[in-house]
This record gives sequence, structure tokens and C-alpha cells, in this order.
Amino acid sequence: MRVDVALFAHLTPFQPDGEGGRHARTFDLAEGATIADVIVALELPDEPRVIFVNSRHAAEEQALSEGDRLAIFPPVAGG
Amino acid sequence: MREILRVDMSTLTVSREVLPEKWKRYGGRALTSAIVFTEVPADADPKGPLNKLVIAPGLLGGTSAPNGGRLSIGAKSPLTGGLKESNSGGTAAHALGKMGIAAIVIQGEPTDKTVAYVLRLFPDGKVDIVARHDLKGLGTYETVAVARGIEAAEHRFSEKVSFIVNGPVGEMGMESAGIAITDPHGYPNRFAGRGGLGAVMGSKGIKLIAIFEEGLKGTEHADKDAFIAGVRKFAGALTTHAVTGQALPTYGTQVLTNIINEAGGYPTRNFSSGQFEGVEGLSGETMREITLERGGNVKHGCHAGCVIQCSRYYVDEDGHYITKGPEYESVWALGADCGIGDMDTVAALDRKCGDIGIDTIEAGVMIGVYMASGRIAFGDGEAAMAVLDEIGHGTELGKIFGAGAEAVGLHFGVKNIPVVKHQGLPAYDPRPIQGIGVTYATSTQGADHTAGYTITSNVLAVGGTVDPLKPEGQAALSQGLQIATAMLDSLGFCIFVAFAVLDMPEAFEAIYEMAEAHTGDPWDADALTRLGKETLTYERLFNAHAGFTKADDRLPKFFLEEPLAPHDVVFTVTDEELDSVHDFVAATAAQLGIE
Repeated sequence: MRVDVALFAHLTPFQPDGEGGRHARTFDLAEGATIADVIVALELPDEPRVIFVNSRHAAEEQALSEGDRLAIFPPVAGG
Repeated sequence: MREILRVDMSTLTVSREVLPEKWKRYGGRALTSAIVFTEVPADADPKGPLNKLVIAPGLLGGTSAPNGGRLSIGAKSPLTGGLKESNSGGTAAHALGKMGIAAIVIQGEPTDKTVAYVLRLFPDGKVDIVARHDLKGLGTYETVAVARGIEAAEHRFSEKVSFIVNGPVGEMGMESAGIAITDPHGYPNRFAGRGGLGAVMGSKGIKLIAIFEEGLKGTEHADKDAFIAGVRKFAGALTTHAVTGQALPTYGTQVLTNIINEAGGYPTRNFSSGQFEGVEGLSGETMREITLERGGNVKHGCHAGCVIQCSRYYVDEDGHYITKGPEYESVWALGADCGIGDMDTVAALDRKCGDIGIDTIEAGVMIGVYMASGRIAFGDGEAAMAVLDEIGHGTELGKIFGAGAEAVGLHFGVKNIPVVKHQGLPAYDPRPIQGIGVTYATSTQGADHTAGYTITSNVLAVGGTVDPLKPEGQAALSQGLQIATAMLDSLGFCIFVAFAVLDMPEAFEAIYEMAEAHTGDPWDADALTRLGKETLTYERLFNAHAGFTKADDRLPKFFLEEPLAPHDVVFTVTDEELDSVHDFVAATAAQLGIE
């Protein structure tokens, strides 16, 4: 299944094509793949994350569906 | 013993009095709010002689408490009509703290309203008021440059001086005027922006306050060793926490742009959508990349002792300073809310706002409302700059613009005017982020995000999580944060310390440990909570006396009726829950013996 994946802030360089940038890349995933599977595949650093699927908060155990947009942020805040 | 410095502009005299015993635990916002509550009639004309402009460092101002150098400025607001506290970084707070000044209270009004006065504070304790005709009407940047030249010529100048500056918008008495404070490099780019306090400063005839710091020493502590231990503990927590130790130093507050947009709460084109297609041009990541390419500074603190260092400078293609790296709020207001997606355009607008002395949030929301009227187009950066030019020149049209978003919306017949208590909403839509909607509706400050920053739990998973799309838990979340924020504002802390405090108990402990070690008075968790509640109680009672009712604790109707894309939700927290947020006020007022 195809899922769009966008990475932000200091996670930007972890996109596999090495091009940086916040635009989403389309990943080809096995049916039933979870967010955790993507995190492992991308080798993201071990730290808290804020995760959105289709603009809603999601937990790492959640399974993805065809056409989902997955966005992953490291811990961020401001004012 | 800390003192109140009283400046009477009717007689052009200055006097000092010892800070009353009943207020000895107050600094910053607690003190400005207590003084305004006590000394300003709630029905006073905000631009008249009975209003007072109160400027106070926090209780820990003048010490080495990490991130403890924020400045509070309070008065009856010409914009909201309520008790306003406007908060800023810059170097003035620590300077005042070192001078042992608990607050400057500026009262009365000058007989000659055409004169631009400068209030000068010298390190030997001398204070004077001088007329400076050549500063009148100048932009904030030129004001600072000219003032430095004058003081140098008079041999009074030292390198270490803090300036508190009023721009032409405040001199002309417009309700969206802010007050600028100089940063460690002397740029007047820190802002006490919200609530029109520049108009109060203008009504007192004060163009500039100069605080000469040469030779000032840090204030003494009751227990120096314990204070230093508290400092180390607090600094350790701040540098360890991922937000205060990494995200903010790297990207500044602008780190929020992408995540708030992703969450669907980034108000676009006058709050008509929750996502902006041009967000990447405005993002913190993009701003950092541009700045690095151009050789600009990407990390510094706005006052000595800041360990978070979230500030930066924005530069042009030749590497020349344009403005402080625009904050998330300013980029949103002058950018996405106006449908503008170009960082250079936004930076130029930000510089203009700073120079004429207008709150960037109110300016951006106002321009977005003006765009919604159809008279200029969303996305038209040149037209937005022309609006600011009108304001700066004080034309009749400019005075309407300068009166703020609500005034413009009413004048030009715009249906959706995003304000609460007459103040423009900040950079989070309350429909998909309901916690911030509670803060906007109920805060004594009007639509204000810092007053109770629920974005922490609603979006950022800091201090727990509360689903932003549902009404459950939002009132309690907002209440707790409003109390905590008032406490931090009173001690002089930058509210960004809250991110560490919410997640790390040792950070919270370090705060009362520093307060006790510095003052010698007992401080604990309960005392911190009480400080926050008392501060809000003064404000809430003042507002009630000024005529505010429950009806003023509500969001504009369109937030309850018009669903916002992409989540297609409206604000659903009930009126009963909104009215519960200040349920501690009656008991706190009784304890204080005020009503």
C-alpha cells in the first residue's frame, strides 16, 4: 500500500532519498504495516515524537491504510 | 528593600517609596496587576490622567536565575478596556532588578502634550525627566540611534544601557501600539506587544526610558549557596529537556509552524481554513535555512542568563540585519492569516511593525480582516505594507487601521471578526484546538495564547495529552496553565521554561528553591500556586469593576457555527465550563481582603 511520509525539524535528514526538505515522500508498505514499522525502517532517533496521520494524533502501534499521510515531529514547542 | 519609583508626569517629579509589606512576595505581573487594581479606577479613561503605566521586573529580576529576566508592563488597556499585562524580553528587567526597583509607576499626564519626554535612570540612583524634541515621532530604531548619540555627547553614555521605546503609533494614541525594549545588542526588537500599552505610554508623554547600567551588580541573596544550587538544578533541567534544549534553540518559536499546520489548526486567510498551502515558505526550517545561507545569526538569548536561546536575526540577501527572526506568531499573523507565503515579505512587514511600534499579532489579524472585506486581496504583500504605512503616517485611514482588528472589521463590514475582549486572536484556531479556545475566551487578557498555553497538551504532548478536537478536559487544562503562567510572569521567568517544568518535577522544585534562597521567605509549591491565583484575582476583579461580564468570556459566534477544514469541527466547550475557569477567584479575593 502507498503511504505519504513527511518528516520535520531535525528529523528532516532521515528521509531515505537524502534530499532533506519537508515534502512528503511516497512509501510502498506491506498491508497492515504500522507507524512503528516506518519508524524502524527510517532508523529515527530514540526520543519522544509527535505523530499525525491525516492531521490527527496517532500512536505508534496504529496500522496505516492506503493513501494515508503520516507526519512525524521530534519534541517541539514554542509560543 | 525593593522600592517603587513613582514618576508623576503632571508635575514632572520623581519620588521613591518602599514596596509595601503586603506586596513583598510580588514582582512582575503580580505587582503590575496589584498596583493597577489598587491605584487605577476601573472606569478610568485608559489614555487619560488616571490610568497608570506600571513597569516591573520579576521577583527574581536582577539575579542569575536562568531565563529570569522578563519584564512586565501593566495598565488599563486602551484595546481591551481591562487590566492588561504585556510581557517582554530584552535587557531592561535585569537592569531594574539590579537597581532594587520593584516597579516604575508612571502617572498623571503632562500639561504640554506636544513634548516628547525621556525618563533616565542612572546607576547611582539619580532619576530625571528631560524633554527631547528631536525624538518625537521617530521610529523605534531611529529613536535608539539618536538617543545614543545625545547621551554620548552629554558624556552620560555608557555601553550598558537598556531602552524602553515608544514608537509613533503609541505617540499617536492608537489602540494596537506596543512598547519596544532593546535586546542585548541594542536593537529595539523585543516587544511588550499586546493590548495597546504604547498608547498609554504616549498619553503620559514618554517617548523613551533609558536605564544606564554601568557598574550595577547583581542583587544579593538571603542564601547565596542555596540560590546557586537552584540555578544549577534549573539550568540542568532546561538544557536537558528536548524542547528547551534542542527544538527552540535550533528553530526558535517558528518550529511550530509546520506542526500547527499539520494538526489543522493554523488559521489561514482570516481564520477561514486550518491549513495553509504556502506553509513551507514560512516554516521554521525554511527560515533557518535562509538565514544560514545568508550568514545570519541563528541562535541567541534575548536577555542575560537565558539558556534556551530561541532568538535569531533575519537578514537580507547581503547578510544585513532586517529584524529579529520573526516569531511564530508574527510570521503567522503577517503571513498565513493574510495569505502571504514569502519569508522576505513577512520579515519586511515585521520590521515595519517594530519600527512604527505596533503589535504584530494585532496588525496581522487586522490586515487579514481588511483583506476579508475585499478592499485588498489576500496574499498582496505590497498592499499589506501600504496599510502599515498609513498607520505610521497617522492618516485618517491609518487611525482606523491602528485601532485594531475589531475596529477595522466593524468599519468595513466584515462578518467574521476574530477577537475576544476586543483583542485579535493569535495563531491557533480554537475549533480544532479547543483548549486554546478556552484560554482565549476566559483569560483576563482577552484573546491571548501565552496566558494559558494549552497547545502543550493539545498538540505537542508536553505535560500529558488532551485531545484537541474534543471539549473534554479543556477547561481544567486551561485553568491550570493560566494559574501557572501568571506565577511564572510574576517571578520574571520566560514562559518557555514551562515546557521543562511541565515534564520535569525538579524544574518546578528549582523555582521555589530559588525564590526562597533569594528572598529568605518560605516558598513551596503551594506558594507558587497562590501567587498565580492572586495575580489572576486582581485582574479578574478589575475587569468585573470595569463592566466585564460572562458575555465577555465567549468566542465570536462563527467559531461555534462555521466548521473549519480539514477537520470540519466547531468549538464545543460549554458556557458552564468556560464559567468554571475562574472558580478560585472568590476564595482568593476573600483571603486577600479585596473585592
